[in-house]
Amino acid sequence: MSEANQGANARARRARAVGALLQYAAAAAVTLVAVFPIYWMIISSLKSSEELLRPVPTLWPAAFNWRNYPDALKMAPFGRYFLNTIVMTGGILSLQLLAGCFAAYGFAKGSFRGRDSLFVLVLGALMIPIQITFVPIYCMVAKLHWINTFAGLIVPQAVSAYMIFMLRQSFKAVDDSFLEAARLEGMGRVGIIFKILAPMCKPTLMTVGIISFIDHWNAYFWPKMVTTTPLRRTIAQGVYELKRSYAGLETMNQNQIMAGAVMAVLPIIILFALLQKYLLSGFSKAASK
Amino acid sequence: MSENAAGKRGARARAARYRSRERAKDFLCVAPALAFFLAFVYYPVVELFRIGFTNWNLIKDKYDYVGFKNWKWLFQGSGCEKLLASLRITFTYTFWEILITLAGGILLAALFNRESRAFSAMRSVLFMPRYIAISTSAIVFMWILNDQYGILNYVLKLFGAAPLAWLNSEKTALASVLVLTGWRVVGYGMMIYLSAMKGISPEYYEAAKIDGAGPFQRFRYITLPLLSPTTLFLFVTTFIASMKVFQSVDVMTGGGPYQSTNVTVFWIYELAFVDFRVDRAAVVSCLFFVILLASTAATMRISSKNVHYES
Repeated sequence: MSEANQGANARARRARAVGALLQYAAAAAVTLVAVFPIYWMIISSLKSSEELLRPVPTLWPAAFNWRNYPDALKMAPFGRYFLNTIVMTGGILSLQLLAGCFAAYGFAKGSFRGRDSLFVLVLGALMIPIQITFVPIYCMVAKLHWINTFAGLIVPQAVSAYMIFMLRQSFKAVDDSFLEAARLEGMGRVGIIFKILAPMCKPTLMTVGIISFIDHWNAYFWPKMVTTTPLRRTIAQGVYELKRSYAGLETMNQNQIMAGAVMAVLPIIILFALLQKYLLSGFSKAASK
Repeated sequence: MSENAAGKRGARARAARYRSRERAKDFLCVAPALAFFLAFVYYPVVELFRIGFTNWNLIKDKYDYVGFKNWKWLFQGSGCEKLLASLRITFTYTFWEILITLAGGILLAALFNRESRAFSAMRSVLFMPRYIAISTSAIVFMWILNDQYGILNYVLKLFGAAPLAWLNSEKTALASVLVLTGWRVVGYGMMIYLSAMKGISPEYYEAAKIDGAGPFQRFRYITLPLLSPTTLFLFVTTFIASMKVFQSVDVMTGGGPYQSTNVTVFWIYELAFVDFRVDRAAVVSCLFFVILLASTAATMRISSKNVHYES
């Protein structure tokens, strides 16, 4: 009896071990497929043009052609693109956070007439993407002579309805007694927002801030509309521009194009590795609504 | 006595003034954001309808009001055929993106639902593509999908399959764009499902185990129904996001070949900035906006009936 029991236990254990092994193998296979484009981008960026076009592709470069990187930089002003992207993203993010904190305070803790009906304007803005309204916005921006300027890149994105929505939710959860105590100590609104509410809602601020940062760093649609010359182009357009600069000779210069792609995605991959826990918590928050 | 009453009244008036000043200050906190939304969200919508009634060409300074001419072009003229074609392509693209996000997401969530360092690292790898600029990953995928030197066609040949023209054929161009999309979104679907699966109480599974339910039955009768609010969330957000598809099409195909990937936003962009027909772009934008709102409302209504909320 006990022997049979032991046998059954051993068999169950073995079955579980086989199951786990299969799960590991399947997950690893899927992961390999998912990581392959990144791997291929890096490997291709290091090959020589001759090796790139061999009928049997090589999985590892015969010789490391680091020259592709400086060569790619000669074809497109990546430094300029990076600088533009940093200024644009920094400008958008600081304005969004500033306007977002004030508006979230007003909608969560303020006491003016029509507060909740005015909030509908924020919810409505969530439903109207720039892909719908870009034609009139472009005409406005053109009238202001903002084409190819940082103002044109930043101002139409300076307030985020999503950010106000998330921050309001988070500010609402802070108990009013904290605010009253601060008021008794003579603290004004600005103090309450930035010394009480913002520190207490730091996880939400981090999450919405990082999501907005990555979104605007990668933004393609509006920057494409509002820039016509390399002067104010951003890095998301940069690799495409690099590719186009080879006009007709893209295939043999794929190594340099891939070198440009590596340079463009490297900052985001590093950022992702450092900050992904905030992205995850943001999603579980959003999904539970 | 009367002096006292006057003082009280004065105090009350002062308090009322103080309160209304406080209220005004509270309003000032939201005023910049509201002004922004009026200027850069709501006013452009009004403008969109107005421009639709003009004959505005972007390279000319002057324009006239021409009534419903642009709307007629859209519904009865040469615009109608292009509109239907672009909507068909956009909805096809959206259908596949939603399917990949939901079905792929839940399958991978079931596969990757294990607590260990290795699994956590692998999940990160699957999740990351979403944060790489679409335009940049599109360029990488164009190299992978290259019909002559691309690694994908090489692999196909290894397995004895015929190589495909991918982006160069109107039959496979949209599918090629969807290859990139699938790579970008499937890990995101997985992550959303996994975080929801963590919230399901293990008691359900134990009870089902006692009743003799196998792993597939448990997945089918416990996990899936309890995940339906998550599925609704993913469905609606993916729908809204994928209807706006532009970047991958702009970089990978430019709407071609033979307009086979000419999605609606790309068409609007071409009307406005290639043909300079801002008036026509405006009417298409208006209609697309209405379609977007109506179909979002409809999906939310239909699916809210089929969602099980855990009480």
